[in-house]
Formats: sequence, structure tokens, C-alpha cells
Amino acid sequence: MKVTYFQQVPYRELPSDFEDRHESVITTPYFDVTKPEKVTADFRSALDELMFAARLGFDGLAVTEHGQSSYDMAPNPNIIEAAVAYATEVEGIDTAIYPLGRSLGKSKEPLRAAEELAMIDQMSNGRLMSGFPVGLAYDANINNGVPPAQTRLRFDENLELVLKAWSEPDAFAWNGRYAQHPAVNIWPRPVQQNPLPPVWITGIGNPRTMQFTLDREFGFNYFGWFGLKVAGRRIFDRFWETVEQSAKEANPYRLGFMQTVCVAETDAKAEKLFAEHAEYFFQKGIGSIPMHRLALPGGIDIRGVEAIMRDPGDFGIYTRMKTASFADLMDAGSIVCGSPDTVAETLAAHAREYRIGNLHAMLQFGSMPHELAKDNISLFASEVMPRLKNVWNDEGYDHHWWPERLGGVPNPIASNTAGALV
Amino acid sequence: MTTAQLAERVVDVWGGAVRMRVKVAGSGPALVYLHPAAGFAWDDFLDRLAQRYTVYAPEFPGTSPADPYAIHHVHDVWQVVLMYEELVRKLELDAPVLVGQSFGGMLAAEIAAGFPGRFDKVVLLDAIGLWLDDHPVANWIAAAPDDLPRLLFADPQGPAAQAMLAPPEDPEEAIAAGAGMVWALGCTGKIVWPIPDKGLVDRLHRIDAPSLIVWGEHDALVPAVYAQEFADRIPDSRVVVVPGAGHIPQVEATAETYHAVSEFLAI
Repeated sequence: MKVTYFQQVPYRELPSDFEDRHESVITTPYFDVTKPEKVTADFRSALDELMFAARLGFDGLAVTEHGQSSYDMAPNPNIIEAAVAYATEVEGIDTAIYPLGRSLGKSKEPLRAAEELAMIDQMSNGRLMSGFPVGLAYDANINNGVPPAQTRLRFDENLELVLKAWSEPDAFAWNGRYAQHPAVNIWPRPVQQNPLPPVWITGIGNPRTMQFTLDREFGFNYFGWFGLKVAGRRIFDRFWETVEQSAKEANPYRLGFMQTVCVAETDAKAEKLFAEHAEYFFQKGIGSIPMHRLALPGGIDIRGVEAIMRDPGDFGIYTRMKTASFADLMDAGSIVCGSPDTVAETLAAHAREYRIGNLHAMLQFGSMPHELAKDNISLFASEVMPRLKNVWNDEGYDHHWWPERLGGVPNPIASNTAGALV
Repeated sequence: MTTAQLAERVVDVWGGAVRMRVKVAGSGPALVYLHPAAGFAWDDFLDRLAQRYTVYAPEFPGTSPADPYAIHHVHDVWQVVLMYEELVRKLELDAPVLVGQSFGGMLAAEIAAGFPGRFDKVVLLDAIGLWLDDHPVANWIAAAPDDLPRLLFADPQGPAAQAMLAPPEDPEEAIAAGAGMVWALGCTGKIVWPIPDKGLVDRLHRIDAPSLIVWGEHDALVPAVYAQEFADRIPDSRVVVVPGAGHIPQVEATAETYHAVSEFLAI
């Protein structure tokens, strides 16, 4: 199994009564809540933690994107990834540079995304993995002004433009519904050309998105905040059923999973050290995003709306998150916390049960201070990660969704000219 | 409450790409009614108009339960204006009265501005379509469900509000109605999001039909100050503010609203 280090850039010092005073974590008044030096420090800490993880042997450095939010202050992951692309290249660290989220549903400048990512692939000499989420409603629609009913259409068009801009030898004109360019001929192009940088799509369980990633031979990422034990099971079962129905190989490497993890010498110590930060992260983070900002009319197909109204199970413990205790979060599987043995055994069991080939370990979250985050990263890297990396070794699958320079194997059924296009 | 029998006419427009469904009731001269963002609903106000007019109420593409994906063929306001003009033409309506509520009010103004000489009279009920930085239009699409009654009604606890907001008792009907309303907001939102100002301010001067601008005094979604903004730009227009009503005066104060409209229409 590939194990990446997953980073957000949270504001780590929100007041204790934040969730009582503020409607949400994505409408927070910046100047009321932040101190400038703390914001600067939070960015430094996040970059330091990424590099700390890189030196300890994680397979990739994964960064997400969230505009106008206090729980993740990185509106463009490519800026952070550019910094660590250079730094890891200087230090000779062969780790994947993995912007998990450059949302193409919200992007009104998709060519800019194509250019940034091509630059990162050059700066890292072929280590880019490219995550393209459709986009969260509050971010794509409210922050960026895209009509909810257009988000998916823009995503589809923008993705085609990015892949073509990366690979097309000659300048071409692009006459899209949302973008028009008389000439597209970007410099640079990605180092990775046959195949292009691996493309990953993050979803929350929409069957259509799953089908799309399989049809196109992209990787599929799922984030486990809603609770692996309550929501994850449904999502993974649906994914592998879709794989089977599509007559695709049940290759675990096509699935990525983000899990919030904390590890200390003993279970009791782990709870003592991390419980407050876990509660901060969920209560003041995703739990403080009201449903009407995560889902907007027009963004979800009418049959999907009906399905959610009948059975909201895909959202797991989301509706209770704003008041979820550490015990609630453990019960739901929103976090995995304990001794190295507990954590390694839990994660390995989950990986085998759900056929997870790529684990994104979120080891700093919420208010967790820098030094404690380093302890968490360090212990995970030395005691847990080695026991996870060999989970799929005996089954002989090739990893087709990973940069070739880092051991990935080109996908024989994907086109050589346009990434994972088939 | 409903006495009129609703018939449905189906009209292919846009080169056959979009099938528009039109609810028809009543008898008399033609009156076209354009529904608000949440979709079409028959009410007492329309029922009274149907006693004097033949009411034609087209459903915005995508908001018809039988054909939700018609919205995939609709992309912008300009297209919508042309589609509705084509619809009125194909229905062979001769100089109809044009009435629009909220989102439908914006459409009515756009269509009347786009095609002078085609409408006998225009009635706008708490229309969207303009924007004042000092009086921002509330974002009804992104609003929390709990906030909607307050945005729509001056008295959210009143009988009109309660009757309109009550979900169907049957669980499956409630799901269909709930999802249908969410989808209707998404379909209509496709052409007005994120700010319901698509340049109508520069086109209102083209409206040549006598126009009545009706506004609920306590409209919390589009404040009543917008009534005069419309009136200032539509040459032959006047304003009636309905006391004590919110964003849907014809539902919350049916008698007063009907009185103002019928007086204007001289019926």
C-alpha cells in the first residue's frame, strides 16, 4: 500500500467558544478571529510538517484546497506543492507531489491550473500526481460564483482542456462553453507524457462520479471524515460493486482513502494527547459547515436529492459532528487513535477489508500544535507505516495510478496520448 | 380553493430541443403567468384571474416533474427570452397580459423589454433582476431551510405561509415535492446565480406596455425599495405597495393584491 502524508493548513488557535459564536467555519470574519503572526506561523508549521514527513519516507505529500475557510487556509494547494516540490528535489527525496484538490468545477481559469501543475511536474522532475475534485458547493458556487447547476459541466469541460493542454503537440483553439481560447500552447508541459501525470478524482459517494473514474481509468479518492465505520463501508461497497459491474480489475491501487490518525506509545496516552485536537478539528472544522452550504440546489441531480432524502447514510456522523465527542468520533471511525499496534492493526484491517491501495494519513489536524504533530508523524512513520506498506505486496497488482519515476506502471488499457484517457 | 380546471399544452421550442409544458385554465383574453424560482403552483390569485382571462402558465424548463432534464438544454437568459417568445408565438396569443412573480417577474420584464409591442400590459410581482449594493437581494438558493419562511412571508406563522410551507403527509409525496422544489431552485438558479442582475437595468427602458409594479411592503427577499427602481426605468409604469405582505403578496394578501391588479387591468 502507498502511504502519503496529508496536510491541511488550519488556523490552529480559534477561541474555545468558536462554534457557539459563529455560524460556520467558512463564513468566519477573518480579522475578528485571527492574529497575523499566528496565520504566518500556521503556514510555516504546515510546510515544516510536510518536509518533516517527506524526510521520514512517506510515499507522497498530499495537500487539499479550501477557499475562504478557517479550517484550511490553502485556497490553492499548488502553491504549497510548488514549495515542497523544490525542497524535496534539492534534498533528493523521491516522494510524490500530490495536490489532491485543484477543483476544476470551480475554476474559471482552467488553463492556469494546467500551467501550474505542469510547472510542478517540471520542478519535481516527474513526481506530480494530480487530484481534481469537482468542488464543494460553498467554494465553487458561493465563493467562486459558479451556478450550482454548472459545477459538474465546468468540471467536465475543464478536465478535457487541462489534459489536452498538457499533451497536444500543436497549438489548438478551444471553443468551450465556459472557456474560449484562440490558441492553447502552454509552456511548460508536464515532464510525464506517456502517460501523463496520474489523475485522481475525489468523491463523496456519487455513483456517477465513481463510474466516471472507472470509465476513464482515473484513481478514486474518498475522505473518511464522515466515519469509516458508518459511511465508508457503504461507499467502498458501492465502489467495488461498480468496478465489478464495469468488468474492471479489482486493483486496490485504484482506490485512495484519507484517514485522520493519531498515535502515541499507548492507547490511553494517545487519547490524552489528541482527544482535544480531534474534537477541535471536527467541531470547529467540517462539523461547522452547515448542510445548506455543502449542498446547493442544482448541484445534485434530482434523483440524487431524492436518494439522500430517503437515506442520508452517506453523510455518516456529519450532522452530529458539531457536538461530537472523542468517543463519538472513535465509534464512527472518523479518527483512528491509539498505540502503534492498535493503529497499525486497525488501518491494515480496514485496508484489506475495503481494498484500499493508497492511504492518505492526516496526522496534523485542527489545533494540534507543531511539536505534537511532529511526534505523531514520527511515531507513525517509524512504527505504523512499515506495517502498512506491504499490505498488497503478495497480490501482485501493478500500480497504474502513480508516477512512473516513483515506481508506477503505465496502464496498458489507457491511452498513451492523453493521460488516463481511454 | 381551486375551482378552475387545469389543462396542459405541450409546445416544442428551440428547434425541438426543449418541450415546454404550459398549464392552461379559465376563459377570456390571454394572460401569461410566469412562476417564481421554486416552480409553478396554482393559487387563489390565479384562480380569480382565470375567471376573467385564459391563464397560460408555462413551466420553466426542468421544473416539470415529468421532464427534469430539460434544463440541460438551457444555458443563459438570452436563450430563455427567445424560448419564451417562441412559446407565446406558437400558442398564437395575441397581445396577452404578462404577469410574473419574483424570478418570473424578471423573466416577464426581460421578455417585455426584448419584444416591445407584443404584450398588452405587464404586471411585476416582487420581481428580481436588479441589484442595489445598499439593499442586496437575499440569496434564496443558498438560504438555510429554516430561513426561507422569514424571507418569503411577512408573517411566517400566518395561515397563508403555513398552508404553502406544509409538506405533503405521504412520505413519498413529501420526498418528490421536496426534491422537486430543490431541483426547481437549481434549474431557475442556473440562469440567475450568483447575483440576480443580468443587465436588465439597461433594458427596462424598452418596455412599452403599461406596467404595474406590485410589491409586498415587508418583502425580506427583495426589499420594497426595488419597486421604485423598476418604476424609474419602465416608461409607462406605476407602483402599488401591498401593506403587511412579504415577498409573495398575492398569497399573503390575496384580496388586496387582486384588487390592485384587477383595477390596473380594468376588469
